[in-house]
Amino acid sequence: MIIFKTFLKVLNKCKAPIIMYTVFLIFFGGFNMKTSDNSINFVASKPDILIVNQDKEEGITKNLIEYIENNSNIIDVEDNEEARNDALFYRDVNYIIYIPENFNKDFLENKNPKIDIKSTGDYQSSLAEMMLERYLKVAKIYKDVYSSETELIEKINDTLSKEVKITITSKLDTNKLDKAAFFYNFTNYCILAGCIYVICLILSSFKRENINKRTIISSMNYKEYNRKLLISNSLFAIVLWVFYVLLSFVLVGDIMFTSHGIIYIINSFIFTMCAVTIAFLLGTLIANKNAVNGIVNVIALGSSFLCGAFVPVEMLPDTILKVAHILPSYWFIKTNEEIKTLEILDFETLKPIIMNMGMIVIFSILFVIITNILSSRKRKIS
Amino acid sequence: MENVIEVKELTKEYKKFKAVDNLSFEVHEGEILGLLGPNGSGKSTTINCILSLLNFSKGSIRIFGKEMEPSAYDLKREIGVVFQDVAVFDELTIYDNIDYFCGLYIKDKTLRKKYIEDAINLVGLEDFKKFYPKQLSGGLLRRLNIACGIAHKPKLIFLDEPTVAVDPQSRNNILDGIETLRNNGATIVYTTHYMEEVEILCDRVIILDKGRIIASGTTDELKELAKIEEKVSVEVKELDEKYIEKITELKNVEDVDYENGLLIITYKKGKNNLVELIDYMKKESINYNKIFSERPTLNDVFLELTGKELRD
Repeated sequence: MIIFKTFLKVLNKCKAPIIMYTVFLIFFGGFNMKTSDNSINFVASKPDILIVNQDKEEGITKNLIEYIENNSNIIDVEDNEEARNDALFYRDVNYIIYIPENFNKDFLENKNPKIDIKSTGDYQSSLAEMMLERYLKVAKIYKDVYSSETELIEKINDTLSKEVKITITSKLDTNKLDKAAFFYNFTNYCILAGCIYVICLILSSFKRENINKRTIISSMNYKEYNRKLLISNSLFAIVLWVFYVLLSFVLVGDIMFTSHGIIYIINSFIFTMCAVTIAFLLGTLIANKNAVNGIVNVIALGSSFLCGAFVPVEMLPDTILKVAHILPSYWFIKTNEEIKTLEILDFETLKPIIMNMGMIVIFSILFVIITNILSSRKRKIS
Repeated sequence: MENVIEVKELTKEYKKFKAVDNLSFEVHEGEILGLLGPNGSGKSTTINCILSLLNFSKGSIRIFGKEMEPSAYDLKREIGVVFQDVAVFDELTIYDNIDYFCGLYIKDKTLRKKYIEDAINLVGLEDFKKFYPKQLSGGLLRRLNIACGIAHKPKLIFLDEPTVAVDPQSRNNILDGIETLRNNGATIVYTTHYMEEVEILCDRVIILDKGRIIASGTTDELKELAKIEEKVSVEVKELDEKYIEKITELKNVEDVDYENGLLIITYKKGKNNLVELIDYMKKESINYNKIFSERPTLNDVFLELTGKELRD
């Protein structure tokens, strides 16, 4: 109990950096989540269209212009071709429709009048083209059936006014899953920095040469002492992890109660345990307390940048990602990114995630082995 | 008197170098044994072997009649160690530091609390309980270091130069504390460079050099090992060569040295040497300012035996 009690007292002296890392998480996490809030909302997009009408504004011509006006932003430019080309070049308009002279008359007389267009060739111009083609197709179909112009226009308007109801069949709440992935990606830094900083500082206190000597010559079994120290440090890491999980419930919301949320939590737990093993390895290597800060920055910040905790993985160069493979953070973040795309949860879909988690476990085992080898060598030398 | 420590033919080798060479000695119950020797003489290696911090090549170590080994936790319960370097947590208060080190031995909270108070009182840190080590002076830190080592009331205490670089007040306090520990029944193994401390505190002394015991006994017994019996120093401004020759011929004189106005006469043995010298100087009308006589110190013994100063 005295080990745990002293551990807590030493830990109490390290609370400032933990609070600082948590504030980072809340601030950056909260800020990012707020700015990425519209990823699931669909907003109708209206292209900028310029209509150059050389016909009289009546009948089908008038109706076509009205239809386009209702579904796009009509842009006015100077009435000369150079001005129109400039508007197109500078993307002031996406699409120019040239309605030829006698379009209405020729259309009703089945002469198939040709409407010329000019386009920027981008996504918005495609929308404008689809709109124009849709109108002409509908008009052509009804023209063969209805001979009266009024009746034809009425039918065209009736058909075009019908809206299609779209139902999204995917059950994934991508917005919230994105938030969760972002939050847990960011915890990569907080967990690594928190564990390495605190555990290294505590170990450097407990393992100081003369304090360690005093412990060895005391009547406490040294193996038991080491075990208690390990349990205390692991307990700290678990408390830190629980805190971040609770924080994710607050910041991310109800998605954390779903299966996806649980997988995020499991992944972060495995990573936390891995962070403990990294911290123990570093604690064995570092004797100087002043070096701990520098090490935290190199390891936690470095791996967070390299593995995509701060910057989306898609934006990182392939070379960096290849290097990142040798870091546990890469597999942790990769898992977070994969969880949000999981449509169905079964063994097949979970297989890559389990593999990633396995990689983190392998890293942890490796770190434990290296720590044991190093500490036994150190004991022999001393 | 029972033996608390029995070291027999202890040898510790580092490759071809023998740090401790066939060392045998005992420490008796209730005594303070001074372990003296220059740097590299094997003091720390011997203590580390006794404490099972080091494996040794040959020999045996028994404490309280039992074989000492790393897993002898019942024996370790009875041992307290105060290292030369201060070994405390910077993050803990004085009280918490003592509590931690005492807690490695004593699980009972109530008993521990009492022991901590006793240790604090022994080293005189009553007013500093809530201070952190960084707030303490060097002397107070050393006192804390001692309190951490002896708080669990061990029967056998190793004190490794506990008074190095401390102020006189703290030194007196520490020496008083050690006396109290002995009076309370503890057996103490004490290493130091300060001869006056050894002369005040130690019942017996062992002098080590190159891993071997070169002398042992009480301080008086050791002083007898010195060839000189008495050293007389006289401040004389001017002294003719003929007087120096005459003084050399005086009874019991071993050696005469005159340099920078200081005449040093060493006597091999005998009594009333000083009186005879004063009479002679009066007779020859030699003027002098000061005259004083010294008995040989342990340092002289040490110099005599090892050919080097203790602090070399």
